[in-house]
Amino acid sequence: MDFAEFIKQERLEEFPPAWIADVKGEFVFENENYQIKTEDLSIDYKDLIKEAKRLCIVCNKVFSNSYSYLVHNIDHLTIPLDKLNIEVPLQQNDSQKQQLHYSCVNMLTEEMDNRHGPPGVNSRSLTAAQSAAELEVLKEIENVYFTPPSEFNAARYALEHVPSYTNCDEIEQMFTKLKRQQQVVSGKALHLISQQRDNCDREFGEIQNIRQQLSETLSTCKKAREKLRSASNHLTISTFVILANVRKRQIIKSVLKSLDLLRSLRSVEKDVAELITKKQYFEAIELIMQSKKAASNNKEYKCIADLASRLQDTLDMTEEKLDSVLSSMCYNFDPIVFAKLKSAYDLLGKTQAAMEQLHMHYSSAVNESAFEAVKPFVDNVSMETKFQELCRSVPTTKAPLCLLNLCEKLFLVMRSYYLLVNWYSKHEESSMVTNVFDIEKNVSREYIKQKLKGGLIRIWNDVQGKVSTFLKSLGLEEYPFEKFIQMLGILRKLTQVAEVFCGDTSDLLRDFIKTQSVSYIKNYHKGRMEELKLFLENEGWEQCPVKSTFTLLNLQEFKQFKRYFKPKNDIGTSSQSSSSVHSLDNSVYISKYFNETTRTPFEMFRNENVTNDDIFGLEPESEVSEESDDEPEELKRDFVDDADVQNSPSKVAHSVIVTNTTLSVLRNCGQYLQITRYLPQIALEVIMLMNQLFDYYFFTVHLFFTSDLDVASSTLYTSKLNLLLKRISNIEDSFSSPSIPEHLEKTEANLHGLSERIVGVESIVFLAKQFEILQPYLESIVAQHQRMILEHFRDNTLAVVGDLRMPVYMASASKALDARSALIAMSQVRWDVKTVAEEHSAYVDMIVRKIQVFALRLENISQKITLNVDIVNAVWGMVAKFIVHLLVEGFSNASKCSNGGRGLMQLDYRQLFVKLEKISGLKPIPYQDYVDRYVKAYYLPRNELEEFVRDRVEYSNKHLIALITCACENKRDRQALSSAVEGREAAM
Amino acid sequence: MSESYEYLFKFLVIGSAGTGKSSLLNNFIGNKFKEDRCHTIGVEFGSKIVNIGGKSTKLQIWDTAGQERFRSVTRSYYRGAAGALLVYDVTSRDSFNALANWLRDARTLASPNIVILLVGNKKDLEESREVTFTEASQFAQDNELMFLETSAKTGENVEEAFLKCSKTILAKIETGELDPERIGSGIQYGTGTSKRLGAPKRPTRTPSDCACRV
Repeated sequence: MDFAEFIKQERLEEFPPAWIADVKGEFVFENENYQIKTEDLSIDYKDLIKEAKRLCIVCNKVFSNSYSYLVHNIDHLTIPLDKLNIEVPLQQNDSQKQQLHYSCVNMLTEEMDNRHGPPGVNSRSLTAAQSAAELEVLKEIENVYFTPPSEFNAARYALEHVPSYTNCDEIEQMFTKLKRQQQVVSGKALHLISQQRDNCDREFGEIQNIRQQLSETLSTCKKAREKLRSASNHLTISTFVILANVRKRQIIKSVLKSLDLLRSLRSVEKDVAELITKKQYFEAIELIMQSKKAASNNKEYKCIADLASRLQDTLDMTEEKLDSVLSSMCYNFDPIVFAKLKSAYDLLGKTQAAMEQLHMHYSSAVNESAFEAVKPFVDNVSMETKFQELCRSVPTTKAPLCLLNLCEKLFLVMRSYYLLVNWYSKHEESSMVTNVFDIEKNVSREYIKQKLKGGLIRIWNDVQGKVSTFLKSLGLEEYPFEKFIQMLGILRKLTQVAEVFCGDTSDLLRDFIKTQSVSYIKNYHKGRMEELKLFLENEGWEQCPVKSTFTLLNLQEFKQFKRYFKPKNDIGTSSQSSSSVHSLDNSVYISKYFNETTRTPFEMFRNENVTNDDIFGLEPESEVSEESDDEPEELKRDFVDDADVQNSPSKVAHSVIVTNTTLSVLRNCGQYLQITRYLPQIALEVIMLMNQLFDYYFFTVHLFFTSDLDVASSTLYTSKLNLLLKRISNIEDSFSSPSIPEHLEKTEANLHGLSERIVGVESIVFLAKQFEILQPYLESIVAQHQRMILEHFRDNTLAVVGDLRMPVYMASASKALDARSALIAMSQVRWDVKTVAEEHSAYVDMIVRKIQVFALRLENISQKITLNVDIVNAVWGMVAKFIVHLLVEGFSNASKCSNGGRGLMQLDYRQLFVKLEKISGLKPIPYQDYVDRYVKAYYLPRNELEEFVRDRVEYSNKHLIALITCACENKRDRQALSSAVEGREAAM
Repeated sequence: MSESYEYLFKFLVIGSAGTGKSSLLNNFIGNKFKEDRCHTIGVEFGSKIVNIGGKSTKLQIWDTAGQERFRSVTRSYYRGAAGALLVYDVTSRDSFNALANWLRDARTLASPNIVILLVGNKKDLEESREVTFTEASQFAQDNELMFLETSAKTGENVEEAFLKCSKTILAKIETGELDPERIGSGIQYGTGTSKRLGAPKRPTRTPSDCACRV
């Protein structure tokens, strides 16, 4: 059976109408064929077998149904039916059937009538004659009588064909004829029927057989149908139900899915916001992207079409949020958050754009941080104020703190960037391997790498710019030293930070620091110079009572430098190595701050107790503890050793004569050197300024104590001293020279301020010594090529200082010895005596007396100040020098001189020198050659005398002329030599 | 820093060792207080421009060593001082007892007209006080000194001490009692003023001065 038929027959009503519609056309209803087959029987079998009591009219037998009755009836059929057209086609209509039936019945009825009527009708033993007669009769029967009874009424026909003139005979005749005809027909029919009976029986048997088969078929069909029905019920239908249900479920599911999608799409905004607050940026972007995709896939929903635009808005908004998170990275880099951000941007395909954006953020972060850092220090800030203007209005008192704040804030941005770069390099390594084939990605990564690398420098330049702007608007020169140092420390730290940050040596800032430092130190120096001037003008030139072992290292200002002056220390290497260790330490130290989250390298500046050494990361003075045993005690005693003061001059090996000003100069130097510790790059400049202090001191001492020098100075000044004074006087132009004090007592009794002179000169000598102690250290802190300058200073300034003794002490010596009265006394001596005198002249005693007084007064001075041998000798040396010049002057005044006179001269000055030696302790008396040679030249022959005159430039023309006058008796010789003297002068 | 001022006063800070003279000066010129500073060697120097009665005045302050051995050095700075802070330590009777000597030095070596303010320093150490306020006040009154108790540590009265002394000098100039133009007066005209205040100088000269010139 067909599948579709089942559906039609069985559960058709359960299917959706559409289905039914689909199937309808395909159905074939074969049932009709089936039915047709049953109808093939001319007699409705169904009706025949229908239960109905029938009675045989022949033998009165009762039958249960029409069929069996009919079969029985056949037994009674005896009429030959030859002429009857009984073989009707199978497909005959009802009327034919009826006709047949009628005919048969009619014949039968007639037969029965015949039984009752004349005998023999039914007899089967008919003779041939009879047959022939009968055949004749049959032939006579009009054809019309064979017309079916429905169309032909035999009786009426007979009646109609009765002749019009009727008579009984004729009628009789006709009747007989008709009767005869009827008899013959009946007989014939019976005969035919009997003839056909076997056929009929056989047919009936056949029919019976067919009937049986039919009923069997019917039951098989019924059974099959039954079976099929149950089969379809049990198998097909339930499966199809399941299938249908599944399908239904799937449809519902898809509907549900769509609904879910719709719902999720509607809540995307909220979810995204939630994800973002949870910092799940990647997920948020992913969600939006997916939603967008889903929305575009489901455009058929009207509501989704609206959503799509909203999703775009959400995406834009989310990107903005990401951007703001990105910008917050600039202040505090969070690797976890950033990784999320990065993946989100990767997902967006905007990695590169995000990078650009991030750099922009960093730039603005630098700007903003700078602004925010300075803002709190200024009142009335409007947002329009430019940074530069803002900086300008920072009050000077708050500037260091403001700078600190600025650096700290900028450092945070730098640190954030540093971490970003680190993060990238770390992540790049890990991701490089996996995506090595992805060229585009690699290109972008390379780009980002370059960008980041360049960014380091760029950000540092931004930061530098900000800090420079800030500093430029401050006018650093005016800050107190401590504050300046502190600010320098901050800047130095910043440069160290920069070194770690981008390896940049931050030349911009360094140069700036250098120039600022130089100008600061110059300004500072100006102040110190003014102070020095003040000190010098007020200086009492009293010896400051310090211990004989005192050096500048005893001063607190030099405490930190002590270790550099250890004799065995190799200063150069040790300081260099330690400094390199420093820078290494620093970078490690600084990079630590880059990885920490809370602290900055600048916070040490917030500490009140921080020392400058801490600020500059210099080593603490470890040697202090080592020497602590004797040092503090010495400090407490203030380097004073009273016993030394009492010592007699000759016994003192070296005295330390310092003035208050000397100490203050040294202290200043200490401070200058501290500056060099913090600013090694301007060490030379600082040292030069330090030297300037020295120069000024030197200049002042010279000015104060030689201004009253009243003897010819040509032999008192060494050429180096002259050069030095010339150099200094050039430099001192920029500083006003101190005014010569009027408070210094210069009386005969105090040897015209000899004490002050000594203190002045010796203090500068001491100062020079201290500077020399410093030289090795100074050389170690300046660059190699700058050492020359230091050497020059040492050789041409420090080494020359001692030369100042001569003119200064000469000033006292010349005044004390009273040249005028001595010369007068000498002029009264007669030098043209014939005999050599036994006694020295009177003026010698006079000079000796002066020397004795001088010695006494010098002794007085030595009570006040410690005079060492050098000083005493220098003083006496000047006395001697003055005396020899005095003698030569006196001797040259003699217009006439005999050999005896020459002898007297020798006797006089020998005597004088013996006395002087005794008094002064000088042995031999210096400069005595001067007078000795002069006196003895008298004895030279003419040519030697000429040589003497020509070569001895230390004697003045007057001396030489006098010599010639005395020595040459020959007038011509005298004139020749005199002109030689004059020519000498012209040649000079 | 503007260096413009109308007057310059030379000031001295004198007194026994360890009374806190340097601390007073340092506090005044704005440095931090140090607990254990060393004794001063010789003299130290500090200057500050202050505003006194509307006139900016530069104080040139010489901080002298208190130790006896530095007397000879420090004395040379007395000359021509216009004002002096005579410092003693309220926790040291000895430093108070030495005041008379210091005062005599100041009056003889500086100038008889020197304006001196007695300063009792370390008033923050109340628990170890040895010299009472009244006692010191009496001494000040007897010697015609002004008097303040200060603390260089806390900064109390430090600025007042210098200002009070300066005000007195200025008042004396204005009354003509002090002549800025006399050499050794310890007072100089600054860059920011003409010599208009110097007008009454001549009449105040004492006859003895004139006699000296002859």
